[in-house]
Amino acid sequence: MGFSFAAPAALLGLLTLPLIYWLLRVTPPRPREIYFPPTQILRELKPDAPTPSKTPWWLLALRLSLAAALVVAMAGPVWSPSSPLASQAGPTLLIIDDGWPSAPTWDRRLAAAGAVLDQATHAGSTVALAPLSGEASPQMTDAGQARQRLQALRPQPYLPDRSVAAAQLTDFVKAHPGSRIVWISDGLAHDDKDSFARALKGVAEAGVKVETLGDEHNPLALAGPVNTAKSLSVDVLRASLAGPAQATLSAHDKMGRTLGRVTVDFADKLRATARFDLPIEVRNDATLLLVEGENSAGAVTLLDSQSTVKRVAMIAGGADDAQPLLSPLHYLEKALSPFAQTRMARPGAAEPALDLLSERPNVVVLADVSLPPGESFDALTKFVEEGGALVRFAGPRLANAADTLLPTRLRRNGRVLGGAMSWETPKALADFDSSGPFAGLPASKDVSVQRQVLAEPDPGLAAKTWARLDDGTPLVTAERRGKGMIVLFHVNADTSWSNLPISGLFVDMLKRIVDLSPQSAPASNVEDASATQALNTNDARIFAPKRTLDGFGVLGEPSPLAQPITSGFTGPARAEHPPGFYEAGDRVVAVQTLGAKDTLKPFDFAAAGQDPRPLQATRLYDFRTPLLALALVALIVDTLMSSLMSGKRVWRGFGATVGVMTMIFLVLPHNDAWAGDDPASSIATHHREAALKARLAYVVSGDRQVDETARAGLEGLSLALTARTSFAPAEPAAVDPARDELAFYPMLYWPIVAGAPQPSAKTAAKVSAYMKQGGTIIFDTRDALMQRPGDAPTPEGQWLRDFSKNLDLPELEIAPSDHVITKTFYLLDNFVGRYVTGDTWVEALPPESKDSGEARPVRATDSVSAIVITSNDLAGAWAQDKGGQPMYPLTPGGARQREMALRGGVNLVMYTLTGNYKSDQVHVRDLLERLGQ
Amino acid sequence: MSLSGGVDTQWRDPAQRAPDRGEAASELAARLPRLTARAHEIAASVVYGLHGRRRAGVGETFWQYRPFASGEPAARIDWRRSARGDYLYVREREWEAAQNYFLWMDCSSSMSFSSSLAPEDKLSRALTLGLALADVLVRGGERVAALGLTPPVSARNVVDQLASALHANAEVAARQELPPEAGLGSRAKIVMISDFLSPPEELAARLKAYAAVGASGALLMVIDPSEETLPFDGETLFLDTDGGEPFHAGDARQLQRAYAERYAAHKHAIAEAARGAGFCFLQHHTDRPAAEGALALAMGLQDVEALR
Repeated sequence: MGFSFAAPAALLGLLTLPLIYWLLRVTPPRPREIYFPPTQILRELKPDAPTPSKTPWWLLALRLSLAAALVVAMAGPVWSPSSPLASQAGPTLLIIDDGWPSAPTWDRRLAAAGAVLDQATHAGSTVALAPLSGEASPQMTDAGQARQRLQALRPQPYLPDRSVAAAQLTDFVKAHPGSRIVWISDGLAHDDKDSFARALKGVAEAGVKVETLGDEHNPLALAGPVNTAKSLSVDVLRASLAGPAQATLSAHDKMGRTLGRVTVDFADKLRATARFDLPIEVRNDATLLLVEGENSAGAVTLLDSQSTVKRVAMIAGGADDAQPLLSPLHYLEKALSPFAQTRMARPGAAEPALDLLSERPNVVVLADVSLPPGESFDALTKFVEEGGALVRFAGPRLANAADTLLPTRLRRNGRVLGGAMSWETPKALADFDSSGPFAGLPASKDVSVQRQVLAEPDPGLAAKTWARLDDGTPLVTAERRGKGMIVLFHVNADTSWSNLPISGLFVDMLKRIVDLSPQSAPASNVEDASATQALNTNDARIFAPKRTLDGFGVLGEPSPLAQPITSGFTGPARAEHPPGFYEAGDRVVAVQTLGAKDTLKPFDFAAAGQDPRPLQATRLYDFRTPLLALALVALIVDTLMSSLMSGKRVWRGFGATVGVMTMIFLVLPHNDAWAGDDPASSIATHHREAALKARLAYVVSGDRQVDETARAGLEGLSLALTARTSFAPAEPAAVDPARDELAFYPMLYWPIVAGAPQPSAKTAAKVSAYMKQGGTIIFDTRDALMQRPGDAPTPEGQWLRDFSKNLDLPELEIAPSDHVITKTFYLLDNFVGRYVTGDTWVEALPPESKDSGEARPVRATDSVSAIVITSNDLAGAWAQDKGGQPMYPLTPGGARQREMALRGGVNLVMYTLTGNYKSDQVHVRDLLERLGQ
Repeated sequence: MSLSGGVDTQWRDPAQRAPDRGEAASELAARLPRLTARAHEIAASVVYGLHGRRRAGVGETFWQYRPFASGEPAARIDWRRSARGDYLYVREREWEAAQNYFLWMDCSSSMSFSSSLAPEDKLSRALTLGLALADVLVRGGERVAALGLTPPVSARNVVDQLASALHANAEVAARQELPPEAGLGSRAKIVMISDFLSPPEELAARLKAYAAVGASGALLMVIDPSEETLPFDGETLFLDTDGGEPFHAGDARQLQRAYAERYAAHKHAIAEAARGAGFCFLQHHTDRPAAEGALALAMGLQDVEALR
């Protein structure tokens, strides 16, 4: 306990108090002045010259205490609750452990450091502040600057290297003999070397005063999270047996919500394993585990998408997101999501396979996708060779275009069981082989297969067969290829061919297959083209820091020092690689504070010859500020009271001031709300126009006359549409699929010019994606007059065939007379243009089902045919000049043919816009009859 | 708003202005138009009506015919009436006598005082009342003069005449605490409007001098409410508006009761002085409407009339 003054001489100022007292006594406050005409009468009441009023005692006391407070504050009173301060004159080196173990007790550490600085301030000595993480040698500053630096210190999310501090310590003592060293320790050994302990010992032996402030807090840490299919476990570490016997861990998801909590007992060990028994769906959401109440980066461990839950990429041939129950991906997702992480291609991705492979899945599922040779095919082949599992489902596309990434050769078109043309009944499953991968699964008799693709009966087919129907035809075949394998389901993944996808067996079969897939994702060097250029085709991907932990274990913006890591990074967290999430594209990896095998070791204080004192803030209480504040308050009160007593109008001014201040405060915050940029400005003008108004579009062929005809034709059709229907399209647009965004146009008219160069594979992929997203393309070969049955195809036809090899096309058929496309606006028999002889091809409809009862007048799929191929030169018939006169003669000719051509065009446009709506409308009469109308 | 007692006072000090620049006059001139307008307004609401003397006398309106008494001058006979009968008649007119009213409004420095309790200062109120009274009287057929300034006139524009006379005399009037000595005809009526803060003895002497020449009339004491109650508290320094020394009263609240008694005594002394000289004593507070004062004054004058 000690009370001292920095400048005791200033206390002499207290002697002036009697003088102030006397002065105040003789100068009373001014009375209020009042004009008063009958003053003479007043004067007659009382003797003249009344005695001057005394200063009120409380005002006197207020003023005297004000003066006294000022004088005492000048003297600098300081009170120290602990021992009287050691007045150490030499410079002080303050070493602070600022790794994550110090984070839980950081406030106490700062307080202790502050107390050391207080002592230095009082002694007037200089201080060098040396946080362990600081690389530069400590600078001598006065205590005030050191305090500012101290306030800016934050614990680091890693363990700094003490050997740097050891060198600094030795250098400092050499440079400043007679100095004092204070080390605020976190009590942990940061590395195996004992250079710091030796340095401390050496310095102490050299006669320098060394103080160590220790910490009774035993830090806990988490290491080595493992997310298996069974449970999520993590190791909890403590440095000594004296630490807490129990720890409570909690798991949190991306939003910070608590998913689960578990308490683990150390049972006299330094390492214990905590196990979260959570459902896999919940567990897969966990991104962060932490020890509750232990606010340090070491007590937090991060879970990234690299955890051992398998990743499955899924691609469908004719994906239709709008109707999930018709999409094979829907069934796959439902079946896979309980035990695997499923990824789907971004909508509109030009090359979904490449996209998904870049995320390094363990399994790729292709549902009815035929693989034309190209980048995707090569990438998938490489994926399988390097150990990936490729699971394929059959379907109309695969049945028509088998490729080599299949376990067996397939017969074209498969077989239909139990259809209208078959005596056979749907087939059930045979029992699984006891040695096969599906051994032990119950062969559910509820499963029936109506349609499948058939394997050619090659030798070795039996060995490749994992499951078969009860007539012995293979249902699932598989083959090892390279390090990976290919599995083929001979049915498709939705319910149109069999009810397997909605059976529980499907889930079990997929789980077996996914379990068979390799543990670690195959290394892949598939990059999308731009990334390849940017990263110079290096195998290692660069992961940029996204969110990193601070020393307290809180995720936040990455620290400015954080640098990207390469994919092989495993080492412990460092200053340039703080723990946290790092990402590249959609992939996220986590850098942990502690490695999986790390342990916590206590610092050997005995080796350093130190006996740590407990952290205790030996604070100094400086009374100067409160005294000055007191004097200020007294001054304000005195001013107010004086004016009050002399009747001055103070309140009005006071009120006005307060009002003005309030206005200022009200007005100020509104100044900064106008930031923000205009995102629309980055959109190209023609894109904006295309998006704002629906319009027809044609593909620029490069032939001026053909393009002009197409433009004029679409213009004529647009006029007809505006006149006859409720759809009023804007000016037709000319698009180049290689350059322009196609998504804005419901329908593309593509006149084929034989001499035009073939579009690149990338353009073809884009066109393919457009068709899959619901766009319709009308290819017009304009060669109906040239076509001869049995002849070689015309140049235009050949061009289209070449081009369609790059497209993932479904089966086509000549538009049947009951197709909805013939009924969408007008009732038509065929689609004529300048010529009438050409056929119109559309996507094949499914065969008429047997149980549909009476013949339906119209048939439709659930989506719009993505492709219409004609050879009748539609645009030539639609085309008209500005005066409304037709531009081209027709063959055979006649106004009716032109009218029918326009009607066909209207039907086509209506078909693309309304889909199968008209197939319902034609039933209106029947529906009304059934409703009893 | 003030911090203590809630009552504040205002005073325009005429003495601080340079006399040669006529500040007092222009200050008075600034408020006179407004005051004359108000005086007309107030006069319109006051009827000074009892003018017929209800007896025969010198006048213009017919009063009665009476039988001729022998010995009267024959010229008095009304031949037109007498020709209709056998007797001679004399036509009598109603006795009408215009009175001379002398008005005095105190324009001394103590009058330009107002407190926050009243809407205007005493001077404005005194001038308003005086001019309004002049208007009422002239419309009632009397002649009105400013005491010591103008001869009695019975003009329609008497208010303007009085106002310009007051304006011309503003410098002198600012120093006059008492009504001036002036030549009065016999049976003159004098109306004095003032705060009457001067010693009652001096006033009594002056009134006696008026009474000696046969004048009578009324005194209207204009009182600011604060002058009656002393509604101040706290340490107060009272500044005399009549040029006396400031008076440090200590805590004004403690003086309130004693002051009220003393002021009442002063008022009583003034009233006694008025009664002794045959004058009517009236009082008017500036926080009351001016019309009220004008009416009281008119009624008081009629009482004086009736006493005769």
